[in-house]
Parts: sequence; C-alpha cells; structure tokens
Amino acid sequence: MKEYKTIPAAELRETAYQLYADGKNGLMSMFANDERQLNGNYAIYCLFSVGKSMQVIKAVLKEKGKLEFPSITPKISGAAWYEREIYDMFGLKPVGHPDLRPFALHENWPQGIFPLRKDFNNKTPVPTAKKEFPMAGVEGEGVFQVPVGPIHAGIIEPGHFIFSQAGEDIIRLDAKLFFLHRGIEKAIEGAPIERAFYQVERISGICTVAHSLSYCQAIENIAGVTVPPRAQYLRALVSEMERLYNHVGDIGNLCAGMGFAVGIMAGARLKEDIMRVNEALTGHRFLRGMVVPGGVRLDINDQLSAEIRSMLDKLIPDFNEMIELFRGNDAYLNRVETTGIVPRQAALDLGVVGIGARASGVDVDIRRDFPYGCYSSLKFDVPIYTSGDVAARLWVRVDEVAQTVNLIREILEKMPKAKGPLKAAIPVIKPYSSGFGWCESPQGNNIHWLMVGENNTVYRLYARAAAYPNWPALTVAAPGNIIPDFPLINKSYELSYACVDR
Amino acid sequence: MSVLFMLLQVVVLAVLAPLVAGVIKNTKGKMQSRRGPGYFQVYYDLRKFFKKDNVFSPTVSWIFKAAPYIYFATALGAAALVPTLLFDRGLHYDNIFVLIYMLGLGRFFLALASLDAGSSFGGMGGSREMFINILVEPVLMLTLFTVALRANGTGMSQMASASASSGISLSAILAAIAFLILTVAETGRIPVDNPDTHLELTMVHEGMVLEYCGRSVGLIFWGSALKQLVTILLMVNFFLPWNPAGSLPPVVWMILKVLVIAVVLAGIETSTNKMRLFRLPGLLIATGCLSLLAIIAM
Repeated sequence: MKEYKTIPAAELRETAYQLYADGKNGLMSMFANDERQLNGNYAIYCLFSVGKSMQVIKAVLKEKGKLEFPSITPKISGAAWYEREIYDMFGLKPVGHPDLRPFALHENWPQGIFPLRKDFNNKTPVPTAKKEFPMAGVEGEGVFQVPVGPIHAGIIEPGHFIFSQAGEDIIRLDAKLFFLHRGIEKAIEGAPIERAFYQVERISGICTVAHSLSYCQAIENIAGVTVPPRAQYLRALVSEMERLYNHVGDIGNLCAGMGFAVGIMAGARLKEDIMRVNEALTGHRFLRGMVVPGGVRLDINDQLSAEIRSMLDKLIPDFNEMIELFRGNDAYLNRVETTGIVPRQAALDLGVVGIGARASGVDVDIRRDFPYGCYSSLKFDVPIYTSGDVAARLWVRVDEVAQTVNLIREILEKMPKAKGPLKAAIPVIKPYSSGFGWCESPQGNNIHWLMVGENNTVYRLYARAAAYPNWPALTVAAPGNIIPDFPLINKSYELSYACVDR
Repeated sequence: MSVLFMLLQVVVLAVLAPLVAGVIKNTKGKMQSRRGPGYFQVYYDLRKFFKKDNVFSPTVSWIFKAAPYIYFATALGAAALVPTLLFDRGLHYDNIFVLIYMLGLGRFFLALASLDAGSSFGGMGGSREMFINILVEPVLMLTLFTVALRANGTGMSQMASASASSGISLSAILAAIAFLILTVAETGRIPVDNPDTHLELTMVHEGMVLEYCGRSVGLIFWGSALKQLVTILLMVNFFLPWNPAGSLPPVVWMILKVLVIAVVLAGIETSTNKMRLFRLPGLLIATGCLSLLAIIAM
C-alpha cells in the first residue's frame, strides 16, 4: 500500500483503464498533491481496489511542462468529481473531461488562483470575481426549471438544486454544492499531526469517529505504530455506536419525507437514548474526543458496558416495534418501493459506496474487504439488497442495525483486559512519507491520505468521506420520479454536506 | 334581525376557529408522543402575524395583495351561511352552492396569487391545489346531493333538518364516510397534504402561500382555520345530525361533535403517511363510489 506505481501523467489514462478493467475493479479515490518543493512535480494519485488488494497509481506532472493530464472520466464515470476538484484546486487540467464546469470554487472565486497549491497562502484575502456558474438543465416546450435552495426551510446545510421538470416529472437534476467549503485540508497544512487531528475530527458531526479513525489510521500506517488491542476494540465500539445512532436516526428521518410523524418521533426518541449513552461513554453526544492518534483517550468500566448492554436490550424491542409500523403498512411501502431507483450498473459506474451501494446490489463493506483494527476478528454479515430503491436503502439500514447491535455485544464480550496505556506514542516520522487510512462510516467508506512533512507536521491531507462519491447518485436516482418524491429519495441517502465541504 | 344574527354567527365562528385548529394540533402532538402546542397556540401565532408588516415582491400585481383579503372574506361568507344551532335565523337563501363556490372563489384567488410572485414553489403548490380541487369538487357535490335529495332542495337549513329527521341508514353512513375523506382533503391534511411539513417540494396548500408573510399570512391562516371549522360544521349538520335523547341542549352536542371530529382528524393524520401525489385520484374515485352507493342505497 505504501508502494505507488509511478508513471508520467501522459500515461495515466492507459494505466488507469487497465487497472479498472472495464469495471471489474473500482476507483476508490483520486486526488492531487503539490510536490514541487520536493521534486518539482505535481502528482495525481488514483486509488483502485483490485480484487482483494488496493493499488495506487501516482501520475507525475512536471512543474515546467503543460499542466494537464488525460482525463479518465470517459470510461470511469466515478472520476468525474475527483478530476473537477483537482482542476479547481490545483489547476491541473483533465483533458477530455466531458464536463469541466467550476466545481467546488464558485463564480465568486477568481480565475487562476489554486488554493491547494503550496504557493497559495490561505491568510491572504482573495478578491471577489464575477464568473459564471452554469447549471445543467433541459429546455423545451412545457419543461420548467425549478431552482431549490441554496437556503432550505429546514435547519440543514446549503445546497442548490435545479430540477428540469415536465409537469411533476423530474427530467434532470443538477446540484451546486460546496457553499460552505472551509478549506480544512489547506488550513492544517504545516500543523503538527496530533493537533491537526482536532480539525479533522470536526469535519462533520455525524462522521466524527469515521473521520478521526481514518486520519489516525493513516498516521499509524505511516509510522508503523500498532494500536494496543484494547484500544482497537474501543475504537470499534465507538465506530459501531456511531453507525447505530446514525442508522436509527436516519430511518426515523426518512418518515419526514412522507409526513409520517409517528415514525419521525419514534426514530428521534430511540436516537436520543443512544446519544445519551454516547455522552456517558465519551462525554460527547457525537462521540468526539475518543479516538486519538495512537489509540483512544478513554477506557470503559464494567458499569459503562452494563449501561450500553441495557440500552441495547431496551432498544431492540422498541426498534423492532417501529419497523413493524413500516413493514405491514401498505401506505408506507407504496411510498418507498420503486421510488428513486439506482440500478446496479449505475452504482458501480459512479463508485457509490456504503448504504447506497449495498442497496443497489453492490457487495462492498470496507470493514470486511480491507479489515482494519480488530474487525478481522469480529463476525458480522453485510446485508445486500438489489432493488436499488428507497425501500432497499431503508432495509439495508434496518438489517445493519441488527448487525451493529450484535457487533457491539461481541466487542464488549471479546474486549481484552486493560494492559498498559491505551495509546501508543507516535514516533518522529520520516518526512514526506505518506499513506492511507480508511474505515466504514455509517454512510460508506471513508478514506484519508496523509503525507507527513518535517517534524511530524501535516504536509497534505486528503479526506474523502462517503458522501463524496454518493452525491452524484442522486442525479441518477431522481429523474423519472415526481418532484414531491425527491425529499424522500434525498433522505434515503442522507448525504452530508459538511463531509464534502471540508 | 336575521342579518344581525348572521353577523353574530360569523364573529363567534371566526373567534372559535383557531381554537379548533389548536385542538387538532394539540391532539396530534399527544398522539405522536409529543406534548403538542397548547390549545391557544394558533391565537398567539395570529397575534404575532398581525403585528408584523407585509413584505411584497416588487414583481407582484394587485392580485397578490388582494388575495388574502378575498380568501378571508370568502371564509367569513361561508361562516355566515353555514347552519349552526346557535341562532334560529329563519333564512331562505342559505344555498349550499353559494357556500361551496364561495370557498372555491377564495381558493381560485389564492391559486392566482401563487403564480403571481413567479416563484417555483408557488406555482407547484397552486397547480397541485387545483389538481386536487378538480378531483374533490365533483365528489363533494355528489356527496352533498345524498342529503339534498333527501331534503328535496339545496337550502342548508332544510338539508340539515331533513338529515336529522331521516335517522341512521346505510346510505347515511356511506355518505358520512365519504364526507370525512373529503374533509381531510379540503382541510389539506395527511394523506392528501401535509400541513406540518417544511419540505417545499412536497407542499400543496402551504406551497401556494409560501410567498406571504406578516398580516397577509395571518389572514390566510385564520381563513384556513375558519374554512376548516365550516367544513366540520357541514359534516356535523348533514352527516352526524343525530343527538342522543337527553337533557343536554343541541348546541352542546354540536360543540362536542366538532371536537370529536377534530380528534378524529388528528387521528387520521397520525395513523398514516402522505400518499404519492398521483395516487390521489384513486382515493377520490373510491370516495365518489361511496357517495354513489349512498345515493343508490337511499
């Protein structure tokens, strides 16, 4: 994994297509790095899952040469967003990309300023530009453009959607996101890795553990540090607690898309019970501050694990009762079944991860495929549904709740006794070594890539949350449905804005 | 004298309408394992709205500004006509058609206003409201005909006393069920519309009035509450007219029945979720069949 297959950028397309093998393998992530200070090059990294292994291509662009590379999007649709972001942030042009509109940087960002290059100083003010931000739409007789957002009626983050509709039917959907891009990846450059951790942990509330875990595992991979066994189990425990409260809350929230108040309230109540245990466990309802580089910060005692067990015992009957409200309910099933279908091929092409993939018949779970921490010694099933609709995403979540509850019990049972500290010290890392860290967040796999600079500082971090490859799935799921069903489709993915606005 | 009584009735109904809306909201909250807003919350909301100024988009015409007043006025008009047992008015011009189309006029102007501001949500709400209205109106007339046929006329006092004297029959029960579904549709409740949603893309009535604020939206909310009370009163008068023999005066029974229907509406809203928009014709066709059966069974 620390081995990168280094090639000149001109060969990127052939090499990537070869690894992709017409969809037999998947593109997991793609990002660039400004390494001019090291070797006078820009580098583009592509992470592929090839069978049971991960392989990385490192395509190198000479600083003095033409800053462009052959786009791999024509065959690998999942690369579309990654390449647009590389173009925005580094000014490296993917030649042959079918859609090179602005992406993360909107119309007010001036041309020719590339924020992730090392010579851009994020302390200097950037003038406001007046560029265009064209949105994709369909024109024709009787076709209307319905703009929605960026400000929405609920307390949610901003995102601008344009529906092309004929009557109530959605023909096309385009989204403009990244309104609250915080430049976290830039801001932590140069910061000590153990302090930058706090910013990484705060990328998003609902993926707190996932982001911190991926980041910490990237550090530990690079440094070759082994996390104490008990700390590994504690990390798995908080990961599964995060999955549990997310899934239960998301299942309840799905009901808001169809005005089923009993379901919303039941979900909210159950989620609250879990979050109170989160607070007892870590002092934070979103589990912040538990995972730290090298291990975990806090231990649990018998009383706490009894509290978790009794919460689970109480949760299961209540949760099953809530699910029974849906299962035998024709009015409910009519709303979720056949709504917002993403076919398996589309999910594969876009590189959809997590719930979205598993509901479309794509059998992926990074906990099982590329085990980390103690997951190789834990038993769990990966539920797969094939219909690809809102119902499938709901049932995947429902089945995963059962799996997660069992996992938490197993973790508590198998947890090794405390021996010594729960945190391994991070040694001084050889400058400019780099590596990946990954984990399965509630929404799908979460991948971080870190390059460490001098004195254990962050040289470059790339954080790819599960929401990033899943957002484009919405543009497949929505067309063919009617506009009033869109909120339901959207909620079935539960995509985080903050995770991509990093 | 009768005009004075009419005015009195309008005032009483207009004052009580927010209370009925409050009862529905509170009951709904209780049924959904929440505490629910207090019974008087709708009054507080209205007071808040009436203290605020209007903000109008510079692109709107007079229709947008006048629509809330027209809507409220038509609700007042309907409240003047609906038979209550509060006062014996001896009226002869309380025709049901006048009432139904008075409400229709208000809805027509709101739909026009929804297009006026040019926002996409308004247009979507307006078009959906009209789509639903096209389905509701014939079924509503059919259901009311079951009573009108019994009364040999379309005067509401006449219809009310005819259905009160006719006793419980299969026809009456079928018609009552049909009218209950229509009440749900007319008052914009689940499974037809969701009055509590914040999701603009799913809105019907709420989407139509999304561009309004301040006094205008206060008038619209008040008008809606009044319209809802009028619809419930029609239900009570025509489809639940029987009072058990006892010492209680009929007015008390009427109030009790209004409250019972309010609770039933809250129960319906809690028990199910919103339908897919294009499944509504099925629901309303079924309702139409119920009223047809009610006529046949007469």
